[in-house]
Amino acid sequence: MAPIQSESYQKFDLRHFLSGRANEIGLLVAILVLYAFLAAFASNFMTLPNQLNILRDAAFVGIIAWGMTLVLISGEIDISVGPHVAFAGVLLASLAQSGVPLAVAALIVIVLGALIGCFTGVLRAFLDVPSFIVTLALWLGLRGTAQVMSDAVPIVIMDFSFQRLGAGWFLGIPTPAVIMLILFAIFSFVATRTVFGRSVYAVGGNAEAARLSAIPVARVRILVFAITGALAALTGILMASRLGSGNSGAASGLEFDIIAAVVVGGTSLFGGRGTMLGTLLGVVFIAALVNGLVLMGVDPFAQGIVRGVVILVAVMVNIISIKRMRGRT
Amino acid sequence: MVPMVEPLVHMRGISKAYPGVVALEDVSFALARGEVRALLGKNGAGKSTLVKILAGVERPDEGTILIDGKAVALRAPMDGIRAGIATVHQELSVVPELSIAENVFLGRWPTRGRRVDWRRMQREAHDALALLGLHLDPRQPVARLSVAERQLIEIARALSQGARLLILDEPTSSLVAQEAETLIRVVRQLAEQGTSIIYISHRMDEIRKVAHSVTIMRDGRHIATAPVADVSNREIVDMLLGSAQGEGGSTRIFGQPGKFTPLLTISDLRVAPRIENASLEIRAGEVLGIAGVLGSGRTELLQAIAGLRAAHGGSMTLAGRDFRPTSLREARANGIFMTPEDRRGEGAVMMLGIDENLVMASWGSVSRGGVIDRAAMRRKVTASIRSLGIKLAHPGEALGNLSGGNQQKVVIGKALNAAPRILLLDEPTRGVDIGAKRQIYQLMRDAAADGLAVVFVSGEIEEFCEVCDRVLILRGGCITGEVEGSAIRTETLADLTTGEHGVH
Repeated sequence: MAPIQSESYQKFDLRHFLSGRANEIGLLVAILVLYAFLAAFASNFMTLPNQLNILRDAAFVGIIAWGMTLVLISGEIDISVGPHVAFAGVLLASLAQSGVPLAVAALIVIVLGALIGCFTGVLRAFLDVPSFIVTLALWLGLRGTAQVMSDAVPIVIMDFSFQRLGAGWFLGIPTPAVIMLILFAIFSFVATRTVFGRSVYAVGGNAEAARLSAIPVARVRILVFAITGALAALTGILMASRLGSGNSGAASGLEFDIIAAVVVGGTSLFGGRGTMLGTLLGVVFIAALVNGLVLMGVDPFAQGIVRGVVILVAVMVNIISIKRMRGRT
Repeated sequence: MVPMVEPLVHMRGISKAYPGVVALEDVSFALARGEVRALLGKNGAGKSTLVKILAGVERPDEGTILIDGKAVALRAPMDGIRAGIATVHQELSVVPELSIAENVFLGRWPTRGRRVDWRRMQREAHDALALLGLHLDPRQPVARLSVAERQLIEIARALSQGARLLILDEPTSSLVAQEAETLIRVVRQLAEQGTSIIYISHRMDEIRKVAHSVTIMRDGRHIATAPVADVSNREIVDMLLGSAQGEGGSTRIFGQPGKFTPLLTISDLRVAPRIENASLEIRAGEVLGIAGVLGSGRTELLQAIAGLRAAHGGSMTLAGRDFRPTSLREARANGIFMTPEDRRGEGAVMMLGIDENLVMASWGSVSRGGVIDRAAMRRKVTASIRSLGIKLAHPGEALGNLSGGNQQKVVIGKALNAAPRILLLDEPTRGVDIGAKRQIYQLMRDAAADGLAVVFVSGEIEEFCEVCDRVLILRGGCITGEVEGSAIRTETLADLTTGEHGVH
């Protein structure tokens, strides 16, 4: 504890505490409601194997979602992550096929992923190209590259021990989920306790004020994209491991599941606002919803409709509850 | 002068409470037709709540509103407009890409059949503007107009909606002197034609020119209403501040000239397009004022020193060494920090906490290896909050929740935490109330007493008298005059900056 403390810091203010967490509390309630509903109507939903399954699925959304949260807080967006995952998987598999050891190949894929993110960040930071446009171009280009590289045919990875990474278990928990949770702890720390993390909020909240405060705005912008690119590459490796192949058609639409999870988690699309805990809850919400709809036997086409409606309602309830709590203090 | 019959608007016993605060307590307010009433009060005194109730944006908890002697219920902004009440806000609500005519009739475009009747709209817009003495082609886009002209467009819009009461919220805060004169002329002309006006402003000289009467509010209560001619500035300030801060008045404390040491010498500085040739000396321990009308290049001069704008000629010598900053970072490394005039847009991050804003420019001092040292940050923030005298519920509270004056203090605190040798303040008192202004002056004096060189730019010359040891006059791109110590007087500065008796 600090030797000098102000009265206002010492005093625990319940109202301040609650109003700062209105979003997370609202989400927790939403998740409880969703769980109660699915427990009642989706058979086998509440069994341990299924819950662990949800956790594994959540990892493929969650790992990238941590980086995406930073991207959105900084006032940007990255829609290229879905194709990036597919591209990373195909690149890994083809490197492995040509005899590169898997560990080296994985390292190359992750470094390249970070560089692709840097590319977006540099165009955004120095040439003022909107990140939506840059990542839209990447969205098309990366999927295309993956298809060209693989002739749109899955490239099998002939290493069964590698499959344990994406499909295996660690202390009874799916390995990808363990990786997701470790990264969650790291990103929570980065977002709240490091100068870089707080600079991301400052840049997203008011880039001009950040610049005049000598915060390296360009560096912050490049880094958030580089981090997200590396996380997309990591997810691509995990997915290739889970599938046992690099597949150019993998992770289709994943970018929107991720952005939905982050936004459901209370991060503002306009920047400056958001928390990792909110995103974690958003990821759990989306993963449980997708899983529950499958268990309930909802027609796959109708699932899209239900997901769309539920996400919209969740975000609306969230915004309203935040406004209410803020209004009260 | 004031036609006194039945008042146009009569608010009786208005009370309004928000959770935790009483915004208005039993306030009564009456306004005659054709009367211009200045409404004065510190931030949080209740003046904006009062006009919001009148405009139908907020509803009172208690009290009645009579218009033309009949009780009305103003439940929504539309009700206010129907009753003939219109507000022209500080933040202008024009659509820059649309034409003048479209803006005047925004949302109420005259139609023939289902099509917009362009010819009629343009003719009527032209007439509406001509009434205000503005002769512009109604087809040109508003984007080409100055802030002052945009404001007049808004007034024209209000009048074309049949407004009988105009509420002008700090209408001159972003206008140049001549533009303000035009606006004042328009307001007086409208009043003569029978429009009533509520004029919210902090500028006493303006109020004296434009208003018939003045209403002073404090802490949600009506303090006094009187004809302008019957009250002195001194009395008004005392009523605004209340007994707590009333005495003392202008406590002008100077630094000791013997202790000023030259820090930055600027010779023949040229900064295109506004600064032609500026030579000046900035001294440690001194509060230096730079006076000049808007557009005189005062902001550009500060920006050149702060590394935000390249100089095109001349030289600067910082503590004996040649100094030519090419970036903000370089100026920072040499101990120069500037706070911008646009607080919301550039000064601070409103949605982040007060604590983070305070350390935003000095993260290095409260972190190790990029990881924030929370105890160090807490110490620094606590010390800042104490020395700045900010009232708050919690240091982590969003900066946007504070009043303008307190936000500005945080912006200055951020600058001070960066430990500069030269502190450049661009209009630090704009839009803040009188109480906060005095506190900001005190902060400047304290910083100078600690050995900093403080440079203060303001558009309101009477401010220099309160705080500066020395004032430079910036006119036509050159430093044309220098006034020191007790010679710093409003009249002297006014003459020198606008050139009443100066060079032509």
